Amino acid sequence: MKWHKILSAVSACALSVSLLAGCGNSSSSDSGSTDAAGTNDGGSKKVANGELNIAVFQGGYGREYWDQISDEFMKDHPGTKINITASPKIAELVRPKIVAGNPPDLMYIAGGDNLPILDGLIKDKALTDLSDIFNTDEGSGALKDKMLPGVLESRSMAPYGDGKIYLAPFNFGVLGLWYNKTLFDQKSIQTPKTWDELFAMNATAKDNGRALFTYQGLYPGYLDEVIIPSIYDLGGQKALDQFFDYDPEFWKSDVFKQVWGNIQKFANEDNGLMKGTVALNHTQAQTSFMQGKAMFIPNGTWFEDEMKDAPREEGFQFGFLGIPSFNSGSSVKAMSQIEQIVIPAKAKNPELAAEFLKYIYTDKSIKLNAEKSKAVMAVKDAADLAKPFISETTYNVYKAVDNGMELVNGTFKTVAKGSRYSPKDEVYKTISSLMNKQMTLDQYSDKMYKMYSEVSKELKDSAE
Amino acid sequence: MAACLIPGLIMFILFKLYPAMQVFYKSFFLWTGIGDKPKFIGLKNFVDMFHDDVFLLALRNTGFLIVVVPVFTLLIALVNASILTRTKLKEKGIYRTLFFFPSILSFVVIAILWSFIYHPTIGFLNSGMELLGLGEYAMAWLGDSRTVLWALAVTLIWQAAGYYMVIYMAGIDSISPDLYEAAGIDGATPFKQFIHITIPMLWEIIRITIIFSINGVLTISFVIVTIMTAGGPDRHSEVVMTYLYQQAFTNSNFGYAMAIGVFVFVFSVILSLISNKLTERGVS
Repeated sequence: MKWHKILSAVSACALSVSLLAGCGNSSSSDSGSTDAAGTNDGGSKKVANGELNIAVFQGGYGREYWDQISDEFMKDHPGTKINITASPKIAELVRPKIVAGNPPDLMYIAGGDNLPILDGLIKDKALTDLSDIFNTDEGSGALKDKMLPGVLESRSMAPYGDGKIYLAPFNFGVLGLWYNKTLFDQKSIQTPKTWDELFAMNATAKDNGRALFTYQGLYPGYLDEVIIPSIYDLGGQKALDQFFDYDPEFWKSDVFKQVWGNIQKFANEDNGLMKGTVALNHTQAQTSFMQGKAMFIPNGTWFEDEMKDAPREEGFQFGFLGIPSFNSGSSVKAMSQIEQIVIPAKAKNPELAAEFLKYIYTDKSIKLNAEKSKAVMAVKDAADLAKPFISETTYNVYKAVDNGMELVNGTFKTVAKGSRYSPKDEVYKTISSLMNKQMTLDQYSDKMYKMYSEVSKELKDSAE
Repeated sequence: MAACLIPGLIMFILFKLYPAMQVFYKSFFLWTGIGDKPKFIGLKNFVDMFHDDVFLLALRNTGFLIVVVPVFTLLIALVNASILTRTKLKEKGIYRTLFFFPSILSFVVIAILWSFIYHPTIGFLNSGMELLGLGEYAMAWLGDSRTVLWALAVTLIWQAAGYYMVIYMAGIDSISPDLYEAAGIDGATPFKQFIHITIPMLWEIIRITIIFSINGVLTISFVIVTIMTAGGPDRHSEVVMTYLYQQAFTNSNFGYAMAIGVFVFVFSVILSLISNKLTERGVS
């Protein structure tokens, strides 16, 4: 009996010691290897040798592209080694590493759950300035000329408003209203070009047994796809800047009244908003739309792929409308959304990461991305390079952009550190109360005015 | 032997005590929770909390759930347990299994299940009401600020009632049948027996389950709210735990989130103490 007790005590101690030892060991060997890689970098200038750790979002596009492009890169750059971490919840995986001061060398972060970590890194000023990568001309023209116009200048890529690029564009999506193309073709319904035309279709919608509009009720954030292009349509870049830079006066402007009035009109008009919309999550609302319960719904180019297994009404075909304009003279608009790649400021091997980033923008890579991910990169003519691999619907959406559909993009200015406000949440979540008719437009504007005043005051205080 | 405790103790300190201490410590800092150096700001996070309308609304919603859910859960559990043990139902075993079933389902499954029960057009609830001719009262239960908390409360009660029922059943089984027999001979109705025998004899168990239930609501509400309503419509079903998560991980406001965490901790300890004090009785 005694022996047994002693034995268990010894083994218990051994276990705890080995646990502690295990912790110590792994961390020290980690830093050792990265140090070695670091000194290697200094030695050879041309091709930075060493190890590259990348973290990528593995969402609807999969990870195959990343596996293959890494193989290609390693082939073209002998002596390099790329380790890939891929996950749908990539932010959760990299967060502890970033906190420990040991971030990956390059990160592709996308997907709603993951994006907040980019905001955090922006707030912390913890990203590497990538301007040189885009501005340097290595013989075949500067990389920036290859990008879609306006993208690099946008706040999504240059978050501090000083023109310096901290986030590199990757895949881009086009967002706007969708409809059932078969229905429109069969009943020879004209697609609306203006909001007046769209609201005039309410009777047609009713005749076809559906409401005019629905959206992803639990996540009113989807309404930005309607709101942002509409603001731009009415007030141009000036109004959009007011909206994104927290000018409280925006909420007293005519632009606000018209754009939000439009949204409210869906709720107020008979048959305007599909019954129960506010209580539906995105999948439920989108399924209802595809089953013919509503005529229009906002969503992005991923729509077809996202809902490929969902039930639908007979003959359903995806049709992309974009966002109608307020005046018959101006063009139909749509929102663009561009995914981002970053190199953390504390990356161990930034030179090689930069090299890899440039590699991502080569034609070979763009084609590979289209083939493996069925995605279109935010570079000129990417849609045509991707044409053999993407569906006709998707191709047509991208083509519509080339044919005069105007793309609008924007991001809220990052709030002051420690601010409890998340303006995107405040602006969009409150819309549920408008839709439920529990708030008037005036009450809404008062609430937003107050929020914007406080957020801009916080920003001013923190700058001092 | 004391040495055997060491591994467990180390793990407890490392994975429970140390993180918990960190929560308290970090609540005094301005920190994004990512890469920057935390900056000491004293009690500012706590002061801010009480000027934050959303937090106060979340606190109110949580308070509603903390009051409504345990009361109904425990009442239903107690009545069901009493009926199942005190009557000679043949299907006793089946009911016990059925009522206990929700407790072994994952919270995520329960939340998805109920979000389809409440679905405004194809949902079981609204369709059922239409079938009964109550169609005019059908509504988007999760989309209306007046009903959303009640709808969530029903889900939480459904989830937990079976679990507490089983606990109470075990308790009732250990009450001496002589008591009931004597009461029966004296002419006490089953209802009187329930009030004067079952409840007093189970009192200590009930006290514990009140605290369990309150803490259960605090933690489970996070999953249920996240999946079923995302805090909507317009934050009317936001609870402190979902708000804490938002501040920590979507708003990169870690210090503030930790302050909320500390508040929730203190709040639930105080609540448990109050509940313990209120239900205290002399030894019977």
